[in-house]
Amino acid sequence: MFRRNRHREVPSLNTSSTADISFMLLIFFLVTSSMDAGKGLKRQLPPPPQEQEQVADILDSDIMTVTLAADGALALNGEPTDLQQLQREVTQFAAVNPKHRVVAIKTSPEATYDAYFQLQNAIMAAYRPLKCQPRISDVVEHHEEKGGKRL
Amino acid sequence: MKRRHFRRPDHSIPELNMASLPDLIFTVLFFFMIVTHMRDVEKQVQYQVPAGTEVEKEQHKSAVLHIYIGHPLDGSSDEFLIQLNNQIATVGDIRRFVESERRRMSPEDQERLTVSIDADRDVPMAIINEVKQALRQSYALNISYAASEKALKKNIK
Repeated sequence: MFRRNRHREVPSLNTSSTADISFMLLIFFLVTSSMDAGKGLKRQLPPPPQEQEQVADILDSDIMTVTLAADGALALNGEPTDLQQLQREVTQFAAVNPKHRVVAIKTSPEATYDAYFQLQNAIMAAYRPLKCQPRISDVVEHHEEKGGKRL
Repeated sequence: MKRRHFRRPDHSIPELNMASLPDLIFTVLFFFMIVTHMRDVEKQVQYQVPAGTEVEKEQHKSAVLHIYIGHPLDGSSDEFLIQLNNQIATVGDIRRFVESERRRMSPEDQERLTVSIDADRDVPMAIINEVKQALRQSYALNISYAASEKALKKNIK
């Protein structure tokens, strides 16, 4: 009996089920995880207003005012326009001096987010050939009110 | 010699060595564990994001906070609700939300913190503006308007 024990080898571990176990883990992760990367239009917000805010000196000729009315109507410097025309005009306008020229957006608080998004999208598209970030002053205010905070 | 081979054909199919299979699967498993993240937010609002041509992919998932704005899922009312993490909140809660989330992040993620605004197309700009002002106050200045990608051709009518 003792002699037999001495000759015994260490039994090898049966690893045939390891594949099944790891398959189960793999399927669990496949099911619970989400691969869809979110997409979005990236924008940068200005820092919160300081107490002593310096008013930037910008020439009137360097500002292009786009108004988005409550019903989604677009106006460029007071004249009605559409997205395609706006995109062309913004590209033309900004091509002169993209670092200094500012696009001012005035949005009515009743306007829909979709209309506003399409406007932002058009401005981003207009700046794409210029390879620089647009300078946008973004204000939500009623038409009647004058002199909103410049963002 | 050739003849002898024909006379004694070997009928048994050689067994495939499966020893490396677990290692292979483990590699795939670890890949998935690293590249994915668990869905930890149960959406309580329904929304349809706008479609744009200039959208970009989110870069660092762990550094992105989501603010969902939409109708309640059960359709009980027509008003728009703001959802932060797993609860319905108000604009006033955004600052606290950003601060607490920021504290949980690693220093690298804190720097590239981006807030994704996942809002319905019909949300009035007044709400969006309030959210943006709250984000400015909490110094979460990188924002992203969540959107789906639209083919460029469709844009030109």
